[in-house]
Amino acid sequence: MKVHVETSPALPLVTILAGFRGGTVLDPPGKEGLTRIAMRMIRRGTGKRTAMQIESDVDRIGADLGEHAGASSSSVSMDVIRRSLDAGVELLCDVLGAPSFDEAELGKLLREAESEIVEARNNDRGLCVRAFRRTLFEGHPFGRRSSGTIDSLRRITRQDVVDQVGKLVTRDNLVLAFAGDVDADTAARAAERISAALPDRAAAPRVIPDPAPPAGRRLVFVDKPNRTQTQIVIGGLGTSAHDDDHVPLLVASTVLGGTFTSRLMKEVRSKRGWSYGASSSLPVDVCREAFMVWTHPAAADASACVALELDLLEAWRANGVTARELAFAKRYLIRSHAFEVDTPSKRVQRRFATDLFDLPQDYYDRFLRRVEETTLEAANEAIRRRIDTERMVVAITGTFGEIGEAVAAAIPGVKEPAVMAFDQE
Amino acid sequence: MIEEKRSRMATSRAGTRRDRGRAALATAGPGRMAAEYEGTVPYGPRLGVAQYRLANGLRLLLIEDHSAPVAAYHTWFRVGSRHERPGKTGLAHLLEHLMFNEFEGLPAGEFDRRMEQAGAETNAATWVDWTYYYEHVPASQLGMVIELEARRMGKLVLQDALVQSELEVVANERRYRVEDDVDGTVNERLYALAFTRHGYANPTIGWMQDIQGLTADDCARFYRTYYAPNNAVIVVAGHFDELRVVERVTKAYGYLDPVELPVEDKRPEPPQTAVRSETLRRPTATDKVAMGVHGPAMGDVDHAPLTLLCDVLFGGRASRVHRELVRDREIAIEVRGWVSTFEDPGLVEIQLTAREGHSAEELIDAVETELAKVVEAPVTQEEVERAKARAELALVRELETCGGKAEQIGFYDVVLGDPGGAMERLQRYRRVERGDMLRAARRYFGLQPRTVVTVKPGDGTEAGE
Repeated sequence: MKVHVETSPALPLVTILAGFRGGTVLDPPGKEGLTRIAMRMIRRGTGKRTAMQIESDVDRIGADLGEHAGASSSSVSMDVIRRSLDAGVELLCDVLGAPSFDEAELGKLLREAESEIVEARNNDRGLCVRAFRRTLFEGHPFGRRSSGTIDSLRRITRQDVVDQVGKLVTRDNLVLAFAGDVDADTAARAAERISAALPDRAAAPRVIPDPAPPAGRRLVFVDKPNRTQTQIVIGGLGTSAHDDDHVPLLVASTVLGGTFTSRLMKEVRSKRGWSYGASSSLPVDVCREAFMVWTHPAAADASACVALELDLLEAWRANGVTARELAFAKRYLIRSHAFEVDTPSKRVQRRFATDLFDLPQDYYDRFLRRVEETTLEAANEAIRRRIDTERMVVAITGTFGEIGEAVAAAIPGVKEPAVMAFDQE
Repeated sequence: MIEEKRSRMATSRAGTRRDRGRAALATAGPGRMAAEYEGTVPYGPRLGVAQYRLANGLRLLLIEDHSAPVAAYHTWFRVGSRHERPGKTGLAHLLEHLMFNEFEGLPAGEFDRRMEQAGAETNAATWVDWTYYYEHVPASQLGMVIELEARRMGKLVLQDALVQSELEVVANERRYRVEDDVDGTVNERLYALAFTRHGYANPTIGWMQDIQGLTADDCARFYRTYYAPNNAVIVVAGHFDELRVVERVTKAYGYLDPVELPVEDKRPEPPQTAVRSETLRRPTATDKVAMGVHGPAMGDVDHAPLTLLCDVLFGGRASRVHRELVRDREIAIEVRGWVSTFEDPGLVEIQLTAREGHSAEELIDAVETELAKVVEAPVTQEEVERAKARAELALVRELETCGGKAEQIGFYDVVLGDPGGAMERLQRYRRVERGDMLRAARRYFGLQPRTVVTVKPGDGTEAGE
């Protein structure tokens, strides 16, 4: 068990993070959504508390309890007023160590999760991102829907949930972190209590292969009626945190779309007023993740905006970034870094994530130095090596009948667009 | 309350180096801009908000917190969408966008470029009562921020081409937040129906037809009228030296003259005497409901008890309405309730999302049943304690960052005239008793007619009612 502690008496607040290596990639085929349901079930009753007693106790002690199931990791978090730390730790031990998996509660939760899937159809951006990931990571666990589908949820049984929690929530799979008004000794004692509450058994291994890039350019269109605006995500594969060129690509991506004065913002928003937001991102996980560009122009501007973004991406790849742009991005990343570490919970989160995602142990410690050391050659080589504009996915939420043809025409080399209804599973 | 704190603090700090410095700043000679020290308000057990006022009326609130080498610089203006004239809605928000463009001696884009070069996160927000701009910067860059913000308050350049381009951005923002967002649409309609005279009827982002008609002249007039030192409050939180910042701010903003602020053409909302309702059709899978009841102003004695009562009803999974509608009866997927934090009386907003197979009408009936219960009998002591603990946790979390502190201080100063209002609010929550909540329930949920906006799945045509 790894325990990280970041002490600060500035506020009477303690954050506790309990993480487990393994997430929705462990969902069995046909039972997508299982890990998320399993993690949510741990607060739905224990040997000594009903689900409602857990919720009442969380509120009564001045705490906030959260559970999360990501692709490669799962976690439970608690913020608690300092005076209730002991009660908070006791509650965490109870929910993590003795969930009852009540059948009736599971039924309620599954029906709730089904309704959430229906409600998620109102989120145009969420629909777009999901279509993007499903297409980019086709055949890879990252492409599966972490919240499941109505059909997959209906196949989940109580035993599935018990087994899934058993695969994840174990003593040897636990990463713990404490931040705030808690000293190292108090945190160590709390960590012992939490660890002792968990079963001592081996967790399921987490094996996630690197994804393969898409074959050619692909357009996936989420068709929704009456859209005055579109949501657009364009991208391909990015990097892994272990790649030598990860930080150089991150710096180059900052030039493209990481700030308010980035190329994307200048061209899409400032010059043309097409989209309120325009940005690029390069997330990290246990293996190579996505590289994404996001905009949301009016429907009338969607095809022109897609064409412009592709041009910008191609120019970025062909010509790279300039020395001046690079220096600006580096300075921005280095100076703004102060806000990555300005609270105890942010500081501990970095060490927590390092263990949870198997990042290089010095990933955060050396981050600033690696930014500083990034040369123009390294940044531009990273773009050329990692960004393949001929193997990209364009995902759009909009009204296909009104703009589908124009958007497809704006993407040279794209095959027949894949059109899916917004309420299609 | 502030007066008591002032005198206590003044006594305890007598004779310190800082006080001598404050005195010197307050008595600068003729022709020099002076900053008058107006006392310090305690902010929790460890911190305090020092208050200054410049000769041109600019108010300065400083809270030193050396827990991280960063600082937050917030500029709050006492102007929001409620100050707009009919046909010119969206002006306050459009101007907020334009405040990131061109200034005398600073071409368009240069403001953001310098901020980003300094590692700053910078943005702004506009709402009904106020507009604020913020920078979160490494502490070493604070001087540059003061210089740029001082320029921004008085030297904005507005050109037609830029205004037209920004109008498109705002129109797209409106599509994003309202036209293509069911919840945004519903919220807009709720306020438009509930308010017939007060400016709260208009959405802060503006009506689309108004946005598209705004001009550079409109923006310039609004800027000259309201963006003045005597209508602004600067809040600085974080790692800095108080006296040094006072000196720099005094020098940087000294060139600005106060303006005569217009008397607000405020139109109090008349009592609502009948139910108002509207039904919309949108491409949503299930019914949605927004209910509004006219509520108290932020400074009203019943605002705190009503806020806690709303938490008992809607806050968290143990709350009454969540338990009844989401968990036990399984007729809703989401329930929310909130008392608006406005300077003038606003709304108690209730938002509900039905599950498939259940109707808006079922949700409304179920919520009315729960409201009737809290009108009829006091909530339990356990519920009160839970709501108080939740409120305390929420406030403490807000104060984790220097940006959070600056926001709380600025908000309470602008809306209630009390920079320590967040702490005072916490004390007030602690004093709330069940009887206070029963009184608030009867005052606001008893016989008050509701405003109800319902969304049904459909193709976008309005059903009307």
